[in-house]
Amino acid sequence: MAEQLIEGGVIEACQRGDREAFRVLFETYKDKVFSIAVYSSGGDRSIAEDVTQQIFLKLFTAIQQFRGEAEFTTWLYRLVVNACLDERRKRRRLLSWGDVLPMSGPINKKPQEKSYARMEVAEAVRVAIEELKPKFRIPILLKYIEGLSYEEIAKAMGCSKGTVASRLNRGHGQLAKRLSHLRNHEVLND
Amino acid sequence: MLSQHVSKNAAAYCHGELSSEESKQFAEHIMSCATCRAEFEEIKLGIKLAEQLPEIQAPNHIWTNIESRLKQDHAVTRSSPRFSRPTYAAIAAVLLLSISMAVFWLYRDHTALNGQPFWQVVNLTGSPTIGSSGIGTNGRLAVGQWLETDGNSRAQIAVGSIGHVDIDPNTRVRLLETQPTEHRLELAEGKLSARIWAPPRLFFVDTPSAVAADLGCAYTLEVDKTGASLLRVTSGWVELQLKDRESMVPAGAACETRPGIGPGTPYFEDCAGEFKSALEKVDFESDAQTRSQSLTLMLQQSRPRDTLTLWHLLARVDGDDRVRVFERIASFVPPPQGVTREGILQLDREMLDRWRLVLESSWSNHTLLPKEVGKAYWQVKNGVDQRMKNPATK
Repeated sequence: MAEQLIEGGVIEACQRGDREAFRVLFETYKDKVFSIAVYSSGGDRSIAEDVTQQIFLKLFTAIQQFRGEAEFTTWLYRLVVNACLDERRKRRRLLSWGDVLPMSGPINKKPQEKSYARMEVAEAVRVAIEELKPKFRIPILLKYIEGLSYEEIAKAMGCSKGTVASRLNRGHGQLAKRLSHLRNHEVLND
Repeated sequence: MLSQHVSKNAAAYCHGELSSEESKQFAEHIMSCATCRAEFEEIKLGIKLAEQLPEIQAPNHIWTNIESRLKQDHAVTRSSPRFSRPTYAAIAAVLLLSISMAVFWLYRDHTALNGQPFWQVVNLTGSPTIGSSGIGTNGRLAVGQWLETDGNSRAQIAVGSIGHVDIDPNTRVRLLETQPTEHRLELAEGKLSARIWAPPRLFFVDTPSAVAADLGCAYTLEVDKTGASLLRVTSGWVELQLKDRESMVPAGAACETRPGIGPGTPYFEDCAGEFKSALEKVDFESDAQTRSQSLTLMLQQSRPRDTLTLWHLLARVDGDDRVRVFERIASFVPPPQGVTREGILQLDREMLDRWRLVLESSWSNHTLLPKEVGKAYWQVKNGVDQRMKNPATK
């Protein structure tokens, strides 16, 4: 289940137009939203920044419509899913295959060697995730970046829980096939 | 004797999403089924890999950009006196009247609303009903209520603030949901025409044989007594879906659906009648010989624009049929550089998409269709998924 990341009063304050409260909301969710945007855009950070900005601007203008935090998180993740899909459609003509910018390193701070090994695996996973179809990629991102349950993913994607289960199963299977050479990698067997 | 294979539940089992009973059955099954156990190990590997995805820190300047944009929008609102004093007075009068009417209707028909969100309905002709009551000149369609028109009636529904839907005679629709994240109607029978100007995937129409998801468009959707439906898109794109079977339909094209099967293949409405009839058989007949013979007729009747349909069919046919479809498309528009016959026959996703981008120029050349609409991203996911399990040989 998605973690309750903010106090209940923050949403209400945002609904009253409190800019500081919105800043709190932004700071709370920005890394998760940005991460999904990056993974959905083939590692293109400039696209991910645009998408993230659009999402939060939309959120700010429409937040008055929500009645509680449960609705807010569902809507936020639905926004993220739709924004990433739409951006991919828009830029599909412009962004040629393989036109991926190198990512900066992940947040994890580990001893140097281990850190390099983790980055190596993370990069391989990132590329493999990018090669998945959106309907397999997005549930994986919502599961591991946002920590959503199957039911929450279903609401965000506008499909049934069974469909989510099926897509996650197939997405994981495809990941395993593409990266089977990492099966015995030290990072996966810590 | 082994129970039914359970590998499709492997991810759910690992994520703790199965019930206790389902988990127990899963665990017992994989102990004795080597096939499911092997697939389970693959899924576990996939999960370990996905767990390596790190969260990425968002750069600080995103907030700076958002803040300056909000300030700009606020400044524009304050510094642009768009209306004259008389216009402000007119707006105030309209608002006051609207509030009064809202209060009047609220108390007049409290049982229909009952605290539920609703959509406004305008009577265009005749006597549309909501529940069992006529709506007069205006009505409110609450969540869970049915709007029905007889042979002489028509109505128009305001879909929140994102569009409107015209309801034809002899039609039954029900409001299922209206929230900021989702607006959903059920069309049980009859015909509606939708004009939506919202971001994609905010407006959905459930029919007995597919769900239509709006992607920013105008379309008509008709359901007959058997639950089969016909979608016609006049602007933008619409996605039709039933379970894992999906079709994306562009402007100028149509798509049929069948209960228990879901969406067929999109086609341009100006195609030859024989082409369309044959497509219906290819989409919905189960007999392989009938489908293959119908495909022959389609290929004979096809024009360059019909590569819309043929491209989709690459993933919905196999073996020699797929070769024939490939060759017909190639006779109109050769595959671009980097796209090979072998790759297309193996349903290589990248090559399929590259060829589609080239083919789109012949799909966008429609008198009613702005050229930029034809550039939208879409694919036939169900066909590609199913065929990729059993790729055709050369």
